Amino acid sequence: MSIEYLPTICPYCSCGCGLYLIVKDGKIIGQEPWKEHPINEGANCPKGKNAYAFLYSEDRLKMPLVRKNGAFQETSWEEALNLISSKLKEATPENFGFIASCRNSNEDAYVMQKFTRVAMGTNNIEYCGRLCHSPAAAALIPAMGGGVMQTSQPEIELADCFFLAGVNLQETFPMIARRVFRAKDKGAKVIYTDPRKTATARHLADINLHLKSGTDAALINAMMRIILDEGLEDKEFIASRTTGIDELRDFLSKVDLEEAERITGIPLEKIKEAAITYAKAETACILYDQGMSQHYVGTDNVRVHANLALLCGHAGKPGSGINSMRGQINGEGSGDMGCLCVFYPGFKRVGEDSAKLFEEAWGVSNLPTKPGFTYIDMLYKCSYLYIVGGDPMMVTPDVNNLKKALEKVNFLVVQDIFPTEISKLAHVILPAASWVEREATHTWIDRRVQKIDKLIDPPGEAKPDWWIICQLAEKLGYKDKFNFTSSGEIFEEIRSCIPPYKGITYERLKKTVGGIHWPCPSEDHPGTPSMFLQKFNTPDGLGHFQAVEFKPPAELPDDEYPYVLTTGRSIFHYHTGAMTRRTPKLVDEVRRGFVEVNPEDATKAGVKDKDIVTLETRRGSIEVEVKVTDEVPPGLLFVPFHFADSCANVLTIPVLDPSAKCAETKVCAVKMEVKQ
Amino acid sequence: MKGDMYIAHSTDKEILEKAEYGGVVTSLLKFALESGKVDAVLAVKARDGNRYDGVPVLITKPEEVIETTGALHCASPNIARFLKEYLDGASDLKIAVTVKPCDAKAIIELAKRTQIDLNNLLLIGLNCTGTLPPAKATTMMKVEFEVDPNDVVAEDIEDNKLTIRLKDGTEKEKNLTELEERGYGRRENCRRCETNIPVMADITCGKWGTTDNNTTFIEVCSERASDFITAAIETGKIKVEQPSSDAIETRSKKDEAAIELARQWQEKDFASLKEMSSDERQNYWSEQFSRCIKCYGCRDACPICYCKHCYLEADRGLVTGGEVPPDIIFPMVRSFHVMDSCVNCGQCQDACTMELPLSRLIFMLNRELVSIFNYEPGMDVEQLPPLKTVPNQELSRSSA
Repeated sequence: MSIEYLPTICPYCSCGCGLYLIVKDGKIIGQEPWKEHPINEGANCPKGKNAYAFLYSEDRLKMPLVRKNGAFQETSWEEALNLISSKLKEATPENFGFIASCRNSNEDAYVMQKFTRVAMGTNNIEYCGRLCHSPAAAALIPAMGGGVMQTSQPEIELADCFFLAGVNLQETFPMIARRVFRAKDKGAKVIYTDPRKTATARHLADINLHLKSGTDAALINAMMRIILDEGLEDKEFIASRTTGIDELRDFLSKVDLEEAERITGIPLEKIKEAAITYAKAETACILYDQGMSQHYVGTDNVRVHANLALLCGHAGKPGSGINSMRGQINGEGSGDMGCLCVFYPGFKRVGEDSAKLFEEAWGVSNLPTKPGFTYIDMLYKCSYLYIVGGDPMMVTPDVNNLKKALEKVNFLVVQDIFPTEISKLAHVILPAASWVEREATHTWIDRRVQKIDKLIDPPGEAKPDWWIICQLAEKLGYKDKFNFTSSGEIFEEIRSCIPPYKGITYERLKKTVGGIHWPCPSEDHPGTPSMFLQKFNTPDGLGHFQAVEFKPPAELPDDEYPYVLTTGRSIFHYHTGAMTRRTPKLVDEVRRGFVEVNPEDATKAGVKDKDIVTLETRRGSIEVEVKVTDEVPPGLLFVPFHFADSCANVLTIPVLDPSAKCAETKVCAVKMEVKQ
Repeated sequence: MKGDMYIAHSTDKEILEKAEYGGVVTSLLKFALESGKVDAVLAVKARDGNRYDGVPVLITKPEEVIETTGALHCASPNIARFLKEYLDGASDLKIAVTVKPCDAKAIIELAKRTQIDLNNLLLIGLNCTGTLPPAKATTMMKVEFEVDPNDVVAEDIEDNKLTIRLKDGTEKEKNLTELEERGYGRRENCRRCETNIPVMADITCGKWGTTDNNTTFIEVCSERASDFITAAIETGKIKVEQPSSDAIETRSKKDEAAIELARQWQEKDFASLKEMSSDERQNYWSEQFSRCIKCYGCRDACPICYCKHCYLEADRGLVTGGEVPPDIIFPMVRSFHVMDSCVNCGQCQDACTMELPLSRLIFMLNRELVSIFNYEPGMDVEQLPPLKTVPNQELSRSSA
């Protein structure tokens, strides 16, 4: 008998917590705390505590499946890959699209974008980061020179003020909430914007700003106006490290505070309290998430918070800044690797120069120089689609409409670990190895690169994602460019062409518990926990103010659709539910989807707890169980997006942010009726 | 026989070279395997040579025992849980286990609950004055000792000092209480722990009472260990001599001093809780438990919790599923179910995502109960916990 404690990193969110798996004769039989890991010191949240059950779910994909006469049939890798390569030979750079995932490893993501660019000749490569944190890059590259998290997780504790902008921290990032509690115990103040009275509002926040959904810009403009009126801006920081203050000052002088009160629904006194608390702090840290991003004005929302940070000098030192909180294990890494239609690896903007750079690096010619389609566009415009580790049929707005589009495509490949909603529409389904079934690196929330070792074998014929793509490249005649025999060889290529990763090696990662933060330019460099300490990454090294006019949400309630619908997450489930809904303990906590309804609205509508109601928008309708709670204010309904059987994104509106192409999944108008 | 004491050292050259304090523990473990006394050894070793990361290892080959030599002050894996959960309570495997006092106590409590078969175990006790939380310890090495944590090759806790030895042979020491007041040093439960010599194990081994770094003071604590030690001596695996009365006295004095320090910590830690008014206390604990995110970390880490189907699970109907924080009944049930038998191992607090002072609370309650019921958990497998010895009569009266 062999029984071992083997360390790994949690497969769920982007904190990157350590845990021990107990492996007995090749099978995981338990998990135990890894107390040395600097992120979680032996503690794990409900999902992290149930990290491995999904691996052993009976419906894991174990064999390649090919649709024949309307049904899926098991087949060999050889046959599946031959079929795919013959179909992809029909595709053109204009009608082929590849969607990678925040769940892929860096090595997988790197190979996928290289395949798309080299073998398919197109920049039609995207990943689900487009649907959550694309506004970070769009707003923060101009403002500060990078859309990444600026401080490291441990350094968060240095702050004496937190601005949690639309992030329900206690439920969605519990291990970061723990650091905020630590800071709070030393006297830090917590400001929180969220329409809902979440656990974070009730137990973590000191100043709750329950704004109306989608009114962030109006709130922050008002706060900045107050800060200037009170003379609380950081004059020295503004003078030495920023540019554009005069334009911002002019713009803010026209902001009407009473109008802001009316738009946001927050009493002016409260706005003032928040503004003064943030401005007066020694080190203030903005942590933000989808509450800000998933609006058609997501980029504007990020810009306005960047302005606030620059105005008060709360950037460019450890524990401060405006920090995009990527929600998934490789939310940062898949972007770093270039799975975006506008960026080659290392955030090199798509164009002649970048194409040339990578033509040299990869020894190829004719790399695409024009941006590809963004995620949602690609789904509607490409007739040859390759989708890995994600479920657009759960996460894109207006999925009924998407379904119609996908039913018409010429060829759809889905590569995943389970059957998903989108795999029902696929022509070929390929089984992928997951998590500890292969060796790989990921890049977590604070640019923290850690390595996950292979601890068990994948089920059946499942293979690592990178292996599958390399086989396919070989079939298409690109063997010499994809001649990788291990993830380690891919990582060596990543190091050679993405400068911030240059100093990170598998050997170093093996020895460094907690990993290494990029940028890490050389092998003797310790990595960079905090960004922008000396200067910002903009061409002139300065922080740039970008004045932002408030714009109301695209679809507001009316007589026919009287409620605002907002969507989001729960602590016990994860994104599309593919992993957590196959985890018995988490299913016991929350079995099915629900809609949160304020007691006042429930009375008016004549619904009670556990009733089944129909929610209907101009796009479609779902049936869902009612949860009467004052977590939501009157007029607002909340539906989590984890549940395929009451899919929130049937309802949401497909209006996109013009710069980031992120969708407005946080606000639309909806009606609610008791199911007859 | 039980009560015998020796000053001992190994005779194995390889072990003597690598081990500390004469390599007695390593030699005894190896002998236990070689002689067929046990089928396996369960000990703790530094994973990949990293002394901040001690993991339990199950060894069946005598020659591999040497990999577990040396004290790891930053390791506090849950040995009792490992036995119960992953080795089926040693039901069909005879195992020699190295145990700190809290490990031994937890194993005994689980044996009372028929979760571990004590007859199949040989508990080799290790004297312990506390373990350090590893993540904080690495920071402490950098911040307080100003050394690279990877350069540390040994730690020692003695006379309220923490001494570290570096690769180059140099030593650095700091006052332990001062470190602890700054948030470093030992785990909180260890500071309060009054059991330094695990006499509830079969054998205890420690350096107290020895005068050099080449011997170990051992005490035989059970009859079955007596034969084992005798065989180890007779086959020449260890060499022993009788401790002088000075040595025995030094050992007790060191123990008493450590106990006194622990009592001071108890007094200090508990005072802050006890001094609160009833309202303050309620507010304090409500606030603390409002941070709970229902990860079940405390329950799963607790060696006393053993129910196969816990009353607090979402499908049992007592605590509504899906709510964060859970109803206050959750921490109440947790506390009441274990407080009579808490062995102050601190695993619950280590595993708590929200760093709630769980071990402080439950051990404080336990100390109250100890005085009421005259029951000390983890000491004697024959002594059943108070909650298990409530007569039926009393139960029916309370439910009437």
